[in-house]
Amino acid sequence: MPRQITEMEIESAKMELPDVKTVRLKWPEGFDPDFKTGQFITVFWPDTPNYKRAYSLSSCALDRGFFEITIKRDGKMGTRMVDWAKAGDRLGVIPPVGKFLPVLEPDAHLLCIAGGSGVTPFRGFVREATRRKLSTRITILYSVRTTNDIIFNDEFRELAQQNPNFSFQVTCTRLSEQDPWTGRRGRIDAAWVKENIVDLPKTTFYACGPNALVDGTEHLVVSEMGLPKAQMKTEKWG
Amino acid sequence: MSNVPSDLKYAKSHEWVRLEGELATVGISDHAQHELTDVVFVELPEVGRKVAAGEACAVVESVKTASDIYAPISGEIVEVNASVVNDPGLVNQQPYSGGWFFKLRPSDANEASALLDPAAYDAQIAG
Repeated sequence: MPRQITEMEIESAKMELPDVKTVRLKWPEGFDPDFKTGQFITVFWPDTPNYKRAYSLSSCALDRGFFEITIKRDGKMGTRMVDWAKAGDRLGVIPPVGKFLPVLEPDAHLLCIAGGSGVTPFRGFVREATRRKLSTRITILYSVRTTNDIIFNDEFRELAQQNPNFSFQVTCTRLSEQDPWTGRRGRIDAAWVKENIVDLPKTTFYACGPNALVDGTEHLVVSEMGLPKAQMKTEKWG
Repeated sequence: MSNVPSDLKYAKSHEWVRLEGELATVGISDHAQHELTDVVFVELPEVGRKVAAGEACAVVESVKTASDIYAPISGEIVEVNASVVNDPGLVNQQPYSGGWFFKLRPSDANEASALLDPAAYDAQIAG
């Protein structure tokens, strides 16, 4: 049976970075779906119903009354969304699906590896864990080109203040040597991932971002460290 | 397991090239379409455009991401596949036949020899 399509109004649209926008889609009257943090929705403009794109939810399942997706300006859809989507516009929405779900158990450790806009579902993970005051440990290792490309930087740092079990760590891959950034530089590598493992059997690895980053992480976890695939969850976006 | 036809040459960036007479037909591999997932939009170059090897000249957008398509060899675009613009799903359904992107007239006959043969491309996507 085809999934139900619901038309939703854009309640607000906020630029996160010059090329990244968060769009909040208001649920229509009577719409109250059962869904999980980490899932994605598929959206389209009513004038081009055959042209659809899927975006991870950047909000969480505790957020009721709206979905939030955070979009980078790429391709035709990403450009239209970032440059033109505004409050009052309407989008077709296929409700959330997907298996990129946080294991929010008390003694679990979620080691989340993100590249670029691949960080967006992890905002939902941390938001839910923080609001529920869970003891689940969450670590985000986030690769960006420069300090200007860190999506949700302030929000993640604020969540880290509120939630002692959450750590937000950024590495920059294309900073000039003169840049005053004192944080980590270079790509995410096996050594950095291993440094952040506290209790391997209780760690679940999540990777979201470009195919190379996701494939590299999966290779490290499954092939190199020999962990079962159940401890590795991936979401590729290209 | 991806389909890698033995009669084609491949670029590291996952385009395939079929050399026939004076022309080269270009598309993306079965592996590439599988990684992209459902293709929803294709933008092709203008006929007559001269492209250099490695130059971004088309865009393919799937339900998950947008990617540039690079000219595997240098030459002049002589024909584009309008069918794939009207029905982008052809890229997924028939990556090596109905889902081709464009034909070009190579400007340097030797460039194609630098592309990957099927075995090398197979090794690349397996690794």
